[in-house]
Amino acid sequence: MIKPENQISLPTQVPTGPRLTIPLRFRDRRRITIMLTLLVLAYITLITLPTMIPSHFKLGAALMSFTENIKIMFLQPHLTNTTFLTLLGALGQSILLAFLTTLLGSVLAFFFALASTRRLAPTPLVLGIQSLMAVIRAIPTVLWVLIYSVVFGLGADAAVVGITFHSVAYLTKVYADSMDELSPDSIETMQAMGLKKGTIIRQAVIPYLVSSYFSWTFIRFEINFADAIAVGAAAGAGGIGYQLFMSSSFYFNFHEVGVMVYMILAFALVLEIISYRLRSVTNQ
Amino acid sequence: MLTVNHLAKSYDGEKKSLTDVSFSVRSGEVTVIIGPSGAGKTTILRSINQLIRDDEGEILFDQIDMRQLNRVQLRRARSHIGMIFQSYNLIEPLTAIENVLHGCLGTKSNFAGIFSIYNNREKEEALKLLQKVGLEEFAYQQCRNLSGGQKQRVGIARALMQHPKIILCDEPIASLDPKSTITVMDILRGLAVNDGISVLINLHQVDIAREYADHVIGINNGQVVFDDRTQALSDAAITGIYRKNANLEGSLVHES
Amino acid sequence: MNPNLQQVNHFFNKKRFRLSLILVILGLAYAGASLGLGFQTHSLLNIQDGIAWLIQNFIPNEASKGYWHEISQQLFRTFLVAVAATTCAAVGALFLAIIGAKTLTAAITVSWVIRGFSSLLRNIPIVAWAMILLFSFKQNDLTGFLALFFMTLGFLTRAFMETIEDFGTEKIQALQATGATYLQVIFQGLLPEIAVALMSWILYMIENNVRDATLVGLLTGTGIGFIFNLYFKSLRYGAAGLVVLSVILLVVTVELISNLIGRLLS
Ligand SMILES: Nc1ncnc2c1ncn2[C@@H]1O[C@H](COP(=O)(O)OP(=O)(O)O)[C@@H](O)[C@H]1O
Ligand SMILES: [Mg+2]
Repeated sequence: MIKPENQISLPTQVPTGPRLTIPLRFRDRRRITIMLTLLVLAYITLITLPTMIPSHFKLGAALMSFTENIKIMFLQPHLTNTTFLTLLGALGQSILLAFLTTLLGSVLAFFFALASTRRLAPTPLVLGIQSLMAVIRAIPTVLWVLIYSVVFGLGADAAVVGITFHSVAYLTKVYADSMDELSPDSIETMQAMGLKKGTIIRQAVIPYLVSSYFSWTFIRFEINFADAIAVGAAAGAGGIGYQLFMSSSFYFNFHEVGVMVYMILAFALVLEIISYRLRSVTNQ
Repeated sequence: MLTVNHLAKSYDGEKKSLTDVSFSVRSGEVTVIIGPSGAGKTTILRSINQLIRDDEGEILFDQIDMRQLNRVQLRRARSHIGMIFQSYNLIEPLTAIENVLHGCLGTKSNFAGIFSIYNNREKEEALKLLQKVGLEEFAYQQCRNLSGGQKQRVGIARALMQHPKIILCDEPIASLDPKSTITVMDILRGLAVNDGISVLINLHQVDIAREYADHVIGINNGQVVFDDRTQALSDAAITGIYRKNANLEGSLVHES
Repeated sequence: MNPNLQQVNHFFNKKRFRLSLILVILGLAYAGASLGLGFQTHSLLNIQDGIAWLIQNFIPNEASKGYWHEISQQLFRTFLVAVAATTCAAVGALFLAIIGAKTLTAAITVSWVIRGFSSLLRNIPIVAWAMILLFSFKQNDLTGFLALFFMTLGFLTRAFMETIEDFGTEKIQALQATGATYLQVIFQGLLPEIAVALMSWILYMIENNVRDATLVGLLTGTGIGFIFNLYFKSLRYGAAGLVVLSVILLVVTVELISNLIGRLLS
């Protein structure tokens, strides 16, 4: 299962030497935190929900039309304005976009991760890269693509660069976190043998990292596929997302949307099967 | 061979983990450091190859003070000091032979290290060393599938691959069963007797020390309290080495 | 030559060959994908142009200060919608996960139905959600809320289910053996144990939804995404830059808060 990228980064403080303060009532701190957080969330939700429904809004009619459209989508999918082959091509484009950005992102992120893991890099560099990546991550992918489509012109270049930006930032963080989780022993042992840094990375860090590197990269591929669709729709960057956008907001043709959603779901199913296989292989 | 003079170390700047430790280690001998847990044995061993920096004193290895070396010199010096750990510290996903070959990378370039380039002489030597520790048929096994005793023997072969003048062993048998303990200790003793390597071992089993050591150094609370041939290690001496610390705060830490 | 040595050589050659093969395949795939998309690799060397452009045009100027009021209002609104969608989805997901987790479920079919349902919700692209909802619910916050809600429901149901399943059957059986009822097992035994894990999932989804809310807003013409689009398309880059800055501020703040809560929970 996909892990939240921030779950594994909860800083664990290793106490060295004798502890002077004993964490009194440790479980209580947890319980109070959870309770308070839930309270705040519930409060925000309860004050927000009523304000969301505009005045004179016919909820009933909206729900009716929504279920109607869902029905059209799933039960009567068929094409009028495009051909299946066109859509298949568009889906292919989105998949290629996801693949390319994942590949680029994983290669670049690997080097950034090496420079931002506490195991290998000096603290100022670690903090610098981590903050930079946090800022890049904070900007939604679509905005990156829009920004680059002004600089490069609308097209593949902008889409690839835009999505890669976010991938690099995400993968740098998760790779660096996996490296931080490595036991320092093997690196220290290599240092004790007088090995150079490049050798240590290749011989001691990478062998331990391979499996988590693959699973994170695969997870990012799934995210990038979703992003590729979103970007196609919101930034007009082509692919199945663009077709989806045209059919739904231009032609209001939900039969067609249905076909595309089925195609996307089929690909998602393939990915899910692959990830299931990958997991059972790595669990052995 | 190795002489340590007035070594002192404090991790936090307040409590002294080592105070004025001096001893020397001769070639072709097994020297054992014994002492209660927390006495400073690991700290001594790690200071020798400067895994622990910021200490005081003098560590003369072949007449060179390890503490005065710059980064490159230190790396070169370390490539001739073998080290063996309680937790083996092998690269578990790699095979035994790859782990052994890591031992010769200290003298090679980063390029060779990154592309795992070894010449035939080195490969032959790695095989011979695996044979020497009785693991030739496990050469292509991933180390994560080996038993503790086997892992430790791979660790020894890796250290030997460095052509070490000295091997530092930090509690090499603490996680092993009695049978593997004997195998490993026999191998280590053989290295001293047959190959003329200095072997410096941290132990907390006195009986093993008596059986295998030529020379014993007793450490208590960061100080040398015994430094003599093994024959001189009387029961009274042992009681002295393992006596409770006068320092109350220290002893509380040690017991925990 | 020594047969043992040959074996070593063979071992290393095989390893090297496999690695080269993978690299060649990836290289070819990269080239093929670039060709198929019309992506030119050298444009990667021009990313600094984008950054430079960003810095030049997006530095909020005097004029953009006038937008600050509207932006902060929309930003706050977006944040509220993201939190509300996540919270509502979390409640629904917890319910579905308890019914559907293999270790708790009454019938394995129920488990599979819920699994399939959550997978469906998750994998329908957010674009499709946004568009269908836009058609029926028109241009307002509710549309964005529902799009985020459905996605998050799918995602969290799956996540919660796996968290519960990781908890294991043994502990649940141990509780049942003491004579506890179904609800007692869940509220006294299960939930307190997995609360921390669930919490970190919820925080993660809030972070994610704040970002996705921008996208949904862009598509449905609401919230912060809408005003970004508005300023951007009308070439008011200073104002658009202010939007980006404010989004960064919001997401980083949410991330910091969630890290803080995570630390308190660890
Ligand atoms: N990394 C460290 N940080 C702080 N104190 C340490 C550290 N390592 C060891 N010490 C302290 O130094 C003293 C000696 O430890 P050590 O050399 O590991 O003893 P031994 O190996 O004999 O059990 C102990 O009091 C221990 O608490
Ligand atoms: Mg020790």
